[in-house]
Amino acid sequence: MSNNIESQCYVVQLQIDGYIDGDLSQSQQELFMSHVHSCEACAQEFHYAQVVQDTVLELPQLDCNDQVLEPVHRLLKDGDTKINTSSQSILSQIKALVSDIPAFIRYGVPVALSVALAVFISSSLPDADGVNSLSQDQVALEVNEQYSPEEVFQALQDLNLAIDYLNQMSQRTEVMIGNRFLVTPLQDSINASFQRTRGDTTVQNDPI
Amino acid sequence: MRAQYQQAIEQHRQRVFSFARYSLRANEDAEDVTQEVFIKLWQHWQKIDHSKLGGWLMRVAHNAVIDHVRKQRPMQANIDHYAEVEEQVGSSSEETMLDQENFKQQLQLAIKSLADPFRSIIVMRDVQGLSYAEIRDVLDISESQVKVYLHRGRRKLRDNADLRRLFETQFGRGSRKPNLVDVSAQQAANDKGSNHVK
Repeated sequence: MSNNIESQCYVVQLQIDGYIDGDLSQSQQELFMSHVHSCEACAQEFHYAQVVQDTVLELPQLDCNDQVLEPVHRLLKDGDTKINTSSQSILSQIKALVSDIPAFIRYGVPVALSVALAVFISSSLPDADGVNSLSQDQVALEVNEQYSPEEVFQALQDLNLAIDYLNQMSQRTEVMIGNRFLVTPLQDSINASFQRTRGDTTVQNDPI
Repeated sequence: MRAQYQQAIEQHRQRVFSFARYSLRANEDAEDVTQEVFIKLWQHWQKIDHSKLGGWLMRVAHNAVIDHVRKQRPMQANIDHYAEVEEQVGSSSEETMLDQENFKQQLQLAIKSLADPFRSIIVMRDVQGLSYAEIRDVLDISESQVKVYLHRGRRKLRDNADLRRLFETQFGRGSRKPNLVDVSAQQAANDKGSNHVK
């Protein structure tokens, strides 16, 4: 009997906010009020909720001092032109600048620059035989002047060793990452599902 | 544009500041939030949808308040809290009658001590009178979630030990019967309260 009353109190106290907001149906409201009239604890709780709610509703809207917004107004006043220019697109600013330049300079300078660039590129391209102006023999000669063939051979061998080592490291890292993030979790997941379908209750740390 | 911006400030400054003031302990923090919000409004003026300006401002204010709450040093916050409560307990003991003002101050402290989103939803809905749809847009959650959080937040508010103690000392537990009204009268009052917009 007392358990029944307690559960009624629990339900009624959960419904207090619904009642205050008018969210309860007519029958729910009647049940609510009949219980509140007969139960002192719920009546007290309802009264407390009403007082809190009324006080919250009475809290006034607050406004800040004008001084608080002074920096905002200052930004508007001082930074007006700055902000306006920055808000314009860079493209439109460039267009405005270019339109002020006389036409013969505006078109003449890009053409002259293009011709100069074309001449420069053609002079550095390989000739008809596929040989650069600086021949491969000359390059080899310059290298030979600084290092002996044995030294060059040794350097190439060292380079090969370094490349092999880096390749091995890369493969090992790929295997470790695969095991850590792909293969092992996948295996665990499959094992866990398999054990679950068999009805095995000893599954620990089931990833699913 | 400048005139529109100033008009927007005048239109929304109270709502933004109120939200920040009822959410944060220090007045200076609420002022900082208000400044931040309107500076951001200027910076994003051309990008935002002006038909939803109120919601945008509240969303920015909500984010700024959360940032300020995170930055608040816990020690300092506790000291401020106890200082305010002590002051109120001292003054309430001098009063023999119901001190509505005391209760209101304690209630404001209790609201500020709530976690988000309970605090924000109570401030937006019950203090500022925003609709469920407006709150949904600000917090980017469903309307039913807003209602659930609102009811949970109110229960948490009522569970505030200081607030309950103050209520019981002023009303005396069980000494005063609540003023119960019949269902239809209560419903009429509810309708008024649920449409409450300040």
